Amino acid sequence: MSHMLTKKLPPVQSVSFLVSRRASQLSRQRYDVIVVGGGHAGTEAAAAAARIGAETLLVTQKIQTIGALSCNPSLGGIGKGHLVREVDALDGLCGRAGDWAGIHFSVLNRSKGPAVWGPRAQLDRQRYREFIQAELLSTPRLKVLEGSVEELLVSDPNPAEPGRHRVAGIRLANGSQLISASSVVLTTGTFLSGSLFVGQTLSPGGRMGDAPSSSGLTHTLRDRLGLRVGRLRTGTPPRLLKDSVDLSLTKLHPPDRQPTPFSFMNTHTRCKPAEQLPCYLTYTTPGVERVVRESLHLNCHIQQDAKGPRYCPSIESRVLRFPGRSHQVWLEPEGLTSDLLYPQGLSMTMPPDVQLRLIREIPPLHRAEIHTPGYGVQYDYVCPTQLSPALQVKNTQGLFLAGQINGTTGYEEAAAQGLWAGVNAARRALSQPPAALSRTESYIGVLVDDLVSRGVTEPYRMFTSRAEFRTSLRPDNADLRLTMKGFELGCVSAVRHHEAVRVRCSLQNAIAALQALTMSSTSWKKKLPGISMSENKNQALSGMDLLQYKDVSFEMLASVFPESLAPYMEFSQRLKIEAVYKPHCDQNKSEIKKIQSEENMSLPQDIDYFTLSVSLSQEVREILDRFRPTTLGAATRLEGMTPAAIANLFKYVVLTRRQESMMSGKQADNEEERGEEPCKRNASLPQ
Amino acid sequence: NEAAVSKGLCRVLAGLADADTIFALSSGHGRCGVAVVRISGSAAATALRCMVGLGNQLPPPRTALLRSITDPHSKEVLDRGLVLWFPAPHSFTGEDSVEFHIHGGPAVITAVLQALGSVPGMRPADAGEFTRRAFHAGKLDLTEVEGLGDLIHAETEAQRRQALRQMSGELGRLYQDWSHRLKRTLAHVEAFIDFSEDELIEEGVLDQVDISVCDLQAEIEQHLKDERRGERLRSGVHVVIAGATNAGKSSLLNTLCQRPAAIVSPIAGTTRDVVESALDIGGFPVLLSDTAGLRDSPDLVEQEGVRRARERYREGANQNNFLTIQLISVQFKSTQPERNSMCLLVLNKTDLLPEAHREKLNLELRRVSGLPPVCLISCQTNEGLKDFLTVCGDPLSGAPTLTQARHRAHLQQCVAALAQYRWYRDSDLALAAEGVRLALTSLGRITGRVGAEEILDIIFKDFCIGK
Repeated sequence: MSHMLTKKLPPVQSVSFLVSRRASQLSRQRYDVIVVGGGHAGTEAAAAAARIGAETLLVTQKIQTIGALSCNPSLGGIGKGHLVREVDALDGLCGRAGDWAGIHFSVLNRSKGPAVWGPRAQLDRQRYREFIQAELLSTPRLKVLEGSVEELLVSDPNPAEPGRHRVAGIRLANGSQLISASSVVLTTGTFLSGSLFVGQTLSPGGRMGDAPSSSGLTHTLRDRLGLRVGRLRTGTPPRLLKDSVDLSLTKLHPPDRQPTPFSFMNTHTRCKPAEQLPCYLTYTTPGVERVVRESLHLNCHIQQDAKGPRYCPSIESRVLRFPGRSHQVWLEPEGLTSDLLYPQGLSMTMPPDVQLRLIREIPPLHRAEIHTPGYGVQYDYVCPTQLSPALQVKNTQGLFLAGQINGTTGYEEAAAQGLWAGVNAARRALSQPPAALSRTESYIGVLVDDLVSRGVTEPYRMFTSRAEFRTSLRPDNADLRLTMKGFELGCVSAVRHHEAVRVRCSLQNAIAALQALTMSSTSWKKKLPGISMSENKNQALSGMDLLQYKDVSFEMLASVFPESLAPYMEFSQRLKIEAVYKPHCDQNKSEIKKIQSEENMSLPQDIDYFTLSVSLSQEVREILDRFRPTTLGAATRLEGMTPAAIANLFKYVVLTRRQESMMSGKQADNEEERGEEPCKRNASLPQ
Repeated sequence: NEAAVSKGLCRVLAGLADADTIFALSSGHGRCGVAVVRISGSAAATALRCMVGLGNQLPPPRTALLRSITDPHSKEVLDRGLVLWFPAPHSFTGEDSVEFHIHGGPAVITAVLQALGSVPGMRPADAGEFTRRAFHAGKLDLTEVEGLGDLIHAETEAQRRQALRQMSGELGRLYQDWSHRLKRTLAHVEAFIDFSEDELIEEGVLDQVDISVCDLQAEIEQHLKDERRGERLRSGVHVVIAGATNAGKSSLLNTLCQRPAAIVSPIAGTTRDVVESALDIGGFPVLLSDTAGLRDSPDLVEQEGVRRARERYREGANQNNFLTIQLISVQFKSTQPERNSMCLLVLNKTDLLPEAHREKLNLELRRVSGLPPVCLISCQTNEGLKDFLTVCGDPLSGAPTLTQARHRAHLQQCVAALAQYRWYRDSDLALAAEGVRLALTSLGRITGRVGAEEILDIIFKDFCIGK
C-alpha cells in the first residue's frame, strides 16, 4: 500500500548529477511535450505528460527551485484538499509529496459532513522539494533542463484543425538554441511581466531571489498570438526568526492526533503522529492598523489598482476594509529543522523597516526579527476564456497554459491545471483526441470550466461552494470518480489502478452485503438495543438504511453480523459515508446526466456568431463571441443566455453534425459513436 | 447510411432526456370546451394510478376511458373526463405519457394541474419541453424541429410577460423578499462551510441561519395554505367599471351584457347602486359591476352610491383577480385614475370625435409611458369593441391561477428543501446546506437563477475572510 513512503529517495549528489544537463548535452532536439516552469503546475504537467507516454522536457530557470513552496508552507484545506485528492487519484505528485513532507496534519471541517472535509497539512519546505525533484528525476521519458526560454516558436496552423497558429517549440535565451515539440505547456506563474514591490521600490521579477523571465515570452503571447492579458497582484508575508517570537503569548493549535494521508496510496504519513509540530494563533492589535495607515504613502503595491484576492488579502487591505477589528494571525512552522516561522495573514508590502514596526505591535512578536521581508507581486495573466477545456489556447494549436498564468491562485489549483494540461498536451502530441473532465464529476472539472467559460476578475481560488454537485464530489470518493478514467487516459499507473479496482469491488460487495441484511425495524432493535428508531414496526430496513442513522456505525453492524461484514472493516468509514450520501447522490444523478449530455455537444470554435444564420439576438451573439463556449453545456451557463438561444444553438449543432456526417459518410458515423461516450464510467459505482 | 447516422444521433440525444416527469396544459389557455393535460416521464403511470380509480392496473394502451379524476391526497373528485395511456416508446415524447381530456373551465384545469404538482417526481413543464423531449427521443424529424426555437421563444415571451405582470405586484415583492433572504442565508451557510475553520466566523452565524430557515419555511407554508384559490376561481374575476358621472359606465355594461341591465340616461348620476352582471369575457367567468359615478352630490342616495363604489374599488386594490375598467369620456379634459392592482383605461364616446382627432389621440396615448392598457370605444356605435375585448382578455388571460399552479409546485419544493436543512443541521452541514441550495433553486425558478458567484459576493461583503 505505502510504496511511496518506503521508497528511498535518490541521494542528493546523484540528483544534481542527473539534472545538471546543459542544453548542448540534451539527447534530442525534438520532444513530444515541452513544459516551461518548475512550479506546482509545471511539475505536475511534466510528470503527467511523461506518464501518458510522451517524451517530455521540463525547462526551468533553476533546478534547485523545482517543487519550491514560494509562499505558505501548507497544502490542502477546504476545497483545496478536494483538488489534492483528485490530483492524487489521477496519479499526480502533490498528494504523495504532501504525505512525505507534512509535519502537521489536520482535517478541517471535521464536524460539518464528509462532503466538505478539508484535508490539510503544514509542510517541511525542504522535504517537499526533495520529494518532487526525486520523483521527476526518476520518471521515465522525462528530462529536466536548466535554462530560460526566450521565445515560443510559432508556425502556420495545421489546416485540418481550428486555430490561427501552431506552436512548434521554444528558443532558449543563451545560445539561441531551438528545441522543437508538438505541444508546449507554459506554467510561468507570476513571471509573465512580473514586478516585485517592497515599499516604494519596484523591480522586475516573479519571485524574490529569482531572475526575471525574458520579455520575449510576453511578446510572443501578446503581440504574435494576440492574446488578451490582464493584471493581478498577490503578496507574501515576512518570514520570522522562531527564536525571537514569544510563543508563550500565543494560543497553541495542535495537529490531529492521527494524521490522515492525502494519497489514496498511503495508509500513513512519513511524519509520525508524535513528531508533528503545532501551529500558533495570535491576533492583530489597533497598533497594526495605525502603522498601516501611517505608511500608506510609502506603499506602492497597495495603491495600484491591479486586482488582489478577496479571500487572501494583505494585512493592509484587511485593516482598511474591516477597520477597528482584531484579525487572526497564524504562526506556522516552515519545517522540522527550520528556524523560521511563517505568519499567515500578515502578507504586506510596506518598506522593511515599517514591516518590523508593524509586526512588533503584535504581543508575541514584540521582539521578533524578520529573516526575509514580505513583498508584493504584480503579474500578467492570460484571460482564460481564450482556452479550450483541455487548457489549450484556442487560436494556437499545441500551446497549453496552466497555473497562475490563467489567473488562479494557490498550489492546489496550479497542480490540478498542470496535470490536466500535461495530460492533454501529451495526448495531442500522440495524436489522441483531447480528454474531457466534467464539472459534474470533479473539482478539477469545476475549476477548468469556471476558468474557460467565465474567466476571472480576481485571482481564482477553489471553494466547495463553487461545486454544484458537492454531495457527490467528495474527498473520500475521488478515486472512484477519477482513477479508472485516468487509467484509460494513460496517466494512472497499473499499481494504482489495481488498488482502485480492489477498493471499488470491495465497496460494491460490502454495499450488496448490507442491502442483503434486510429485516423489520423491530428485529433491528433487538439486535442493536442502543439505537433509537422512529420508523413504524413492520417496515423492512436494510443494513444500508440503518447505516444512515446518526448513531449507527459500520463497526456496530459488523459486530452483529461478523460473517458477512467483517471482511470490509477496512472500509468502515467510507461505507458509512456512502450510506449517508446515497439518497442525495441518486437525486443528483438525473441532473448530472442532463448536464453531461449537453457538455458532449460541442460548438465549433470557428463560428462567426455575428453572421451565423441562426435566430439569435445581437446581445446573445456578443456574449457568444466574447466567451466562445466550447460546448452547449458551457453556453447554457453563460450569463445572459436565453432558453430560445440555447434551443436555436442546439438545432444548429445537430444540423451541422448531420451535414458533416453526410459528407464524410461512415467515418463520421464512427466518430459519432465515440463521441457518445468519451469515457466509460461504471454506472453501478457508488458515488 | 443516413438512417444509421440519424439513429446514432437519436441515441446521443436520448441521453438528454430528463428523469423528471413533466405536465402541462397542452390545449390553449382560456376557456374552451375540452382541455388536454399532458404528462410525460417515468412517473406518468404513478400519476395515472393515484389520480384515476383503476385498481392496480393500467388501462389498455392508447384507448380512451371515461373516468373520474381525483385529487391524490384529498380524494376529492376534480372532474370526470377521458383518460389515455401511452406507454413508451409509442407516445409523442417517446416516454411514458398520459393525457387527461377534461372540462375546459379554468377552475377544473387549475385543480387538476395542482393535483399533479403534488405527486412526487412531477413538475410543471418548461417552455417547449414536450417538443424538446419528442425531438430527443427521435420522434420529430429535423424539419419539424425548425420551429422549436420560435416556439420556445413565443412561450417564454408569454411567460415573461405574465411573470412581469405578477412580479410587479404584492406577490412579486413577497417572492423577491424570500429570494433575497434565502440568498443571504445560503451565503452564510456557505461561508461557515468554506471559511469558518480558520477565520473569524463565529458559531453565531449558524444560529442566525437556523432562525432564517425556520422563518422562511413557516412563511412560505402559511402562504401556501392561505391562498384559497379555488374559492376565488369559482367566483371568477371581478371587473369594476369606474369613472366620472356620464362617462358611459352603464352603457358599457349593457353593451357587454348585450341587454339593458342598467338604466341609461343622459342625466349625470343615473346609477346609484352597484349593478352586477355575470358574463363571459375571453373565456373567463367575469362578474361585472357598474358603479355610481364619482362626484360630490347633495343627494343622500347618490352619496351612498358613491360610498359603495369607492368601497368596491378598495376591495379590488388588494386582490389579484380584480380588474378595474377606468372609463373616461373623450369629452372630459382630465380625470384622476383609481389606483388598482389591475387596470384598463377605456376612452368612451369616440363617435363624438372627428376621424382626424381620433387618430391624433391614439398617437398621443401611445407616446405617454406608464399608462395601463388603453382602448378607444364607442358604446353608441360599438366601434372599437372588438379591440376592447382583446385588450380586456389580455390581462385576464395572464391567468394568474395557472401560473399560480406552477409557483405553488416550486414553493412546495422550496419548503421541502428547507425541511432538509433542519433535518441535517446537526449531523451533516454539507447535506443541510444542500437543502438551502435546493430551496433557492426552486424559488429561483420563479424569481430567476442565482449563481455561485453571487453567493460568494455576499460572503465577501459580509465577512472579513483573511486566511
